[in-house]
Amino acid sequence: MTPQSTLLTAAARPIYWLLLVAALWILLRGHNAPGGGFIGGLVAVAGSSLLAIVLGPPQARRLQPLASLPLAMLGVGLAVASGLPGALLGLPYLTHLWGPFGLSTVLLFDVGVFFAVWGALTGYVYAILDSLEARP
Amino acid sequence: MTAETHSAPAQPDLLWLAALPLALFALLAWGLGTYALPWQFDAAWVPSLDVALAFRVDGLSALMLALIFGVGTGVFVYASGYLAHEARPGRLLAVLTLFMLAMAGAVAADNVFLLFLFWELTSLTSFLLVGFKHKHSAVRAAARQALLITLGGGLALLGGLILLGQMAGVYTLSGIVAAGPALASDPRLPYALALVMLGAFTKSAQFPFHFWLPNAMAAPTPVSAYLHSATMVKLGIYLLARLDPAFNAVLFWEATLVGIGTLTAVWAAVLALRERDLKRILARSTVSALGTLTLLIGLPNPGAGLAAVVFLFAHALYKAPLFMVAGNIDHATGTRIIDHLMGLRHAMPWTAAAAVLAGLSMAGLPLSFGFVAKDAMSAAKSEAEIFALVSYATVFVNAIAVAVAGVAAVRIFWGPPEAPRGAVHEVSWRMLLPPFAIVLLGMEIDFFPAIADPLLIAAARAVSPELGTVALSAALDLEVLLSATGIAAAAGLLLFFTWDRLHAVLHRLYWLDRYGPGAAYERALHGVATLAAWQTRRLQPGRLSAYVRLTVAALLTLGAAAWLATADWPELGWTWQPQGWAWLAAGLLIAAGALAAVGLRDRFALLMASGLVGYGSALLFLFAGAPDLAFTQFVVETILVVVAASVLPHYAARPPAPPAWRPLDVALALAAGVGSFVLLAQLAGLPADRTLADWFAANSLPAAHGHNVVNVIIVDFRALDTLGEIAVVAFSLLAALPLLAGLKRRPAP
Repeated sequence: MTPQSTLLTAAARPIYWLLLVAALWILLRGHNAPGGGFIGGLVAVAGSSLLAIVLGPPQARRLQPLASLPLAMLGVGLAVASGLPGALLGLPYLTHLWGPFGLSTVLLFDVGVFFAVWGALTGYVYAILDSLEARP
Repeated sequence: MTAETHSAPAQPDLLWLAALPLALFALLAWGLGTYALPWQFDAAWVPSLDVALAFRVDGLSALMLALIFGVGTGVFVYASGYLAHEARPGRLLAVLTLFMLAMAGAVAADNVFLLFLFWELTSLTSFLLVGFKHKHSAVRAAARQALLITLGGGLALLGGLILLGQMAGVYTLSGIVAAGPALASDPRLPYALALVMLGAFTKSAQFPFHFWLPNAMAAPTPVSAYLHSATMVKLGIYLLARLDPAFNAVLFWEATLVGIGTLTAVWAAVLALRERDLKRILARSTVSALGTLTLLIGLPNPGAGLAAVVFLFAHALYKAPLFMVAGNIDHATGTRIIDHLMGLRHAMPWTAAAAVLAGLSMAGLPLSFGFVAKDAMSAAKSEAEIFALVSYATVFVNAIAVAVAGVAAVRIFWGPPEAPRGAVHEVSWRMLLPPFAIVLLGMEIDFFPAIADPLLIAAARAVSPELGTVALSAALDLEVLLSATGIAAAAGLLLFFTWDRLHAVLHRLYWLDRYGPGAAYERALHGVATLAAWQTRRLQPGRLSAYVRLTVAALLTLGAAAWLATADWPELGWTWQPQGWAWLAAGLLIAAGALAAVGLRDRFALLMASGLVGYGSALLFLFAGAPDLAFTQFVVETILVVVAASVLPHYAARPPAPPAWRPLDVALALAAGVGSFVLLAQLAGLPADRTLADWFAANSLPAAHGHNVVNVIIVDFRALDTLGEIAVVAFSLLAALPLLAGLKRRPAP
């Protein structure tokens, strides 16, 4: 890759964690204020992309809960699963249920969206960056 | 070195997988003894589309199930021996299990959509099974051919079944058969029947689709023994037999079945003489048998239905063992070319014995079940008094069957033993027991008709409801024995002894390879690839400017067409309304970015300028009261610019074209700009329908406990849409990863 700025290399990790916290906050506040799983996922992608560009995709992958493709699939799986409790109660599929403390199947669904966006888009970004590494 | 190139020494023993078909077979036998047919099961699935989990097992279905589970048990035992030294036998047996269940579903389904589902599932699993040794390009081509032909036919079948369902007003096979005679005058009937027959003919390898079956011999032998003799290729026959009672009086149906069946039977028998590969010879003779079955179903008299059912059963019980014999020989000697195989009876006595028994049954000589089948067949034909051609044809086909049986059972085992090539030795018991068991079962049934007769009669009644009670094996008729069977046997012996000379003559007919339907398939496949390459070159030349030009021009053409076709356009609703400094600032940002992009030549500067357009739009969204949208736009734009900026330096820059006056591009750009403006202005003039927006706003908090309407729509009101979208995003990555990995290997331009 191109020569790196020391400043950027040093700041990349803190910025990544900051962005990740922001992404989670955006995800959780989404139901009542601007935000949500989709935007939160995009912010997380921004953080991971920064890390991948500065420190390389392997480093960015290491700081994810799962590799990109499994993460995306987990997200879709969570979203699929969030509709099952309602269906088991005889309601139409994806009818959401609410429990105490603001917990709900909606949240599960939104977390699924978050993971799907995070995993899928970072998968693209890393694959594109990887293809550059191999160039002479 | 990959795993496939060396045989793994310690493969897990997969014999236990045979327990499933065995258990299902036992369950079926117990059920047949305990409960009267037909068995029915009905549960709603998608009621609005008439898709139901409707199953109905009558005599014909039960017979097919008995074959699927019975032969299946043998095949699984056989495969556990055959695959002992292959890499990844579990993968093959897993797909084989899936195939077995799909096959069972297909013959038990009553709902036409359910039948179609299982039908296509058998095609798909067969693709994976034929293409098991996918490292060889010939194997891949064979698998693709089997897939394209059977799936294509399956689509025709779906069309035919839907038409039949619409005409009958009911989407079950039993309902269609019951309504069948009343549909005879419907003008749609010929189309429906043609489509259904197309589906059945492709599946059962009838002319002109007969060529895929011999090519599918690229499959491992257990697969050929199971799919290509006993089960899958009989699925088309099964469907024809299932529908025959409804359309017995329709001339088009009967004539096509008799015509195509006869043609297939004769032609495949001739082609069998051209082959030297034992498995391909057997495959050709299977196609010939399938043609005979189609012919028998086409014959209108009830006896023909009985003959078809008996022959279907008998064929499975001798052809599957013969395929296993071919597999044993291949396994022990490493070749299936009959010229290299001589005198194997010394080295492989048990295989030879199994081959002789199966060969006897195939040749239709007394002793075996095949005799009863052929007897029933000739009785059926003399009863129908159909034109002599068909009976001559079947005598000819039977003669070649006798000759093929001779080749498979006698020729390669007798004669002087070849010089020993390595150590040819007998195969393990797992590869001997199944062919013996299946072929002896066929003979057992011949001597003890009480076992299978009731099932066969029940199956025949499903094909020919008017059939009375007949004792099948009591129908031995000396006269018939001496005429048709005798002539066929004599001619068959003659063919057997002149096989090599006939082969030499037929083999020289190269035009058969060049102009046959198989060659037509290859040309069509090549044509599709050529067409795709041509239109890709035209539409995707690889220059970004060309893509933009093409896209904008196409959009403008479509827009102009819509404009001209619409008579009354709404008034332009656009009026200048001062929106404050914020809007102006956002607008200026967009304009500055766009203007800069036109003038800039440096790629980085261009990227940043286009980023300005995105940020300006995000600002505009923000001021227009759409913070979620603005937020998303900001983040997307940022990621895009950052990632693009880090990728750009790695691509060699094409030197920018020198500035030139390009009037076409100017015109396109102006037209696109003016067009978008006019479109938006007119949209603004339309009265806004706020029904949905108001409903969402009113229900977001009370019904979905959320203040943010946008997010509530995404995760709750339209959650199914979102689920679809994230699934597309995630699965697109699955498709993109191998493509992006391909970028790596390509040298930099």
